[in-house]
Amino acid sequence: LSLMALRLRLKNSFCHSFDAPVLTSSISEVINLFLGSPDAHVKPQFLDSEVQDILTRITGLNLEKVFRPIKQELKPPKYKLMTDAQLEEATQSAREQAQRLLKMPPVLPERKPINDVLSEDKILEGMDTAKYVFTDITFNIPHRERFIVIREPTGTLRKASWEERDRILQVYFPKEGRRLTAPPVFKEENLKVVFGQDRHEDMLDLCQVQFEPDSSEYIRVHAATYEDLEKMGKYDLLRSTRHFGGLVWYLVNARRVDGLMIDMLQKDLLQDAVSLVGLFNKVHPHSETAQEASSQQAYGLDLLKIYAKRESQRAGYVELALQAYEQTSAESTV
Amino acid sequence: MVRLSSFLLKTYHGGHIVIRLAMAGHKQSNRPFYRIVAAYNKRARDSKYIEQLGSYDPLPNIYNEKLVSFNSDRIKYWMGCGAHPTKPVAKLLGLAGFFPLHPMTVTEAERRRAMAEQAEGAAPEEVVKQQEL
Repeated sequence: LSLMALRLRLKNSFCHSFDAPVLTSSISEVINLFLGSPDAHVKPQFLDSEVQDILTRITGLNLEKVFRPIKQELKPPKYKLMTDAQLEEATQSAREQAQRLLKMPPVLPERKPINDVLSEDKILEGMDTAKYVFTDITFNIPHRERFIVIREPTGTLRKASWEERDRILQVYFPKEGRRLTAPPVFKEENLKVVFGQDRHEDMLDLCQVQFEPDSSEYIRVHAATYEDLEKMGKYDLLRSTRHFGGLVWYLVNARRVDGLMIDMLQKDLLQDAVSLVGLFNKVHPHSETAQEASSQQAYGLDLLKIYAKRESQRAGYVELALQAYEQTSAESTV
Repeated sequence: MVRLSSFLLKTYHGGHIVIRLAMAGHKQSNRPFYRIVAAYNKRARDSKYIEQLGSYDPLPNIYNEKLVSFNSDRIKYWMGCGAHPTKPVAKLLGLAGFFPLHPMTVTEAERRRAMAEQAEGAAPEEVVKQQEL
């Protein structure tokens, strides 16, 4: 593990702080309190602590991949002489840094459009040919609560829509790497070209920088990326990155976990597969898999077998992979 | 005239503070750009100001918008210290909804509408005349 790569990554990492409000560790618990009865099921949200635990475990922590050299200006490498203990410390701090870098970006529902009209002044009609955009530049307000109002030539004073807000905030409070107009990479045809080059991760990073997490563009690009990955079966591209959790969440919500399951079994990641089925059961507790699993109190391979029987569309493949895994594990032990 | 607002300021300068538009950018280009600024009354328009409170771009951009920004927190502070806004600043802030609407804005809108109607009334007459000719 080169210290140089670590240092460069630390210096130039895009650590974007998300403006999403602070949420409790388990939103479903809070909602359950409000609903009264604990039996009433509330769908687990992406940001619940249990869900996040499962997703971080599945993401894995491949240090080599997290700290692989990213494109930066060339600097001569720095070499350090260390004892074994110091090397241990350095690896430990690298691990912590990697965990911070692997923090998952939030998955939020799409934002509702703003249609607020503050005042309609018919007397002002025809006062000017252009719109006036008024922004409040007070320093201490979070960007979501800032006042950005537009006075139309017809005289109506209305709040700016989300796209206008993003653009104007970028003018007055520029974020590094974000552009005023979205780069044309995000159009459908160009996305396909990029996916052909296997650059899904770069695409998702770019999307992260450019759009807000609850904008429709962000959700569309992410959905397109996940669809393409699932079609091609290239889950490995995202395996040790911060986007893996989002991919798994999308697939679990769409109930199409088969490809991922087979991929995990082929790579001998039994624990991950088991946690995946566990997550699936939590999110869809009324499905057959979940009900059977809870009635039988199944663990480990049994969970996978129940899933293969009940829920999966490609049952044949999943069972084959299971059998192959059992054979290899039996051979390795024997 | 003794302006009582001067006594609200921390130091007595012998003039009062105004919130006005100062031209920014260099005078060579054909491209005006104003800063909304709190400055002493007697100072030159573009010279040293006390604090910049915002900006105003009079030329519309590709989305046909004129961008105005203002720091409402600090404007409230300076108004509390007795600063006087000038007419253009009062008009802009009135359009924003921060101040009540300035009466001249309404008058200007009415005048523009009258001009537009006159132009429309003149243009069809000219067309008719040309056809006759």
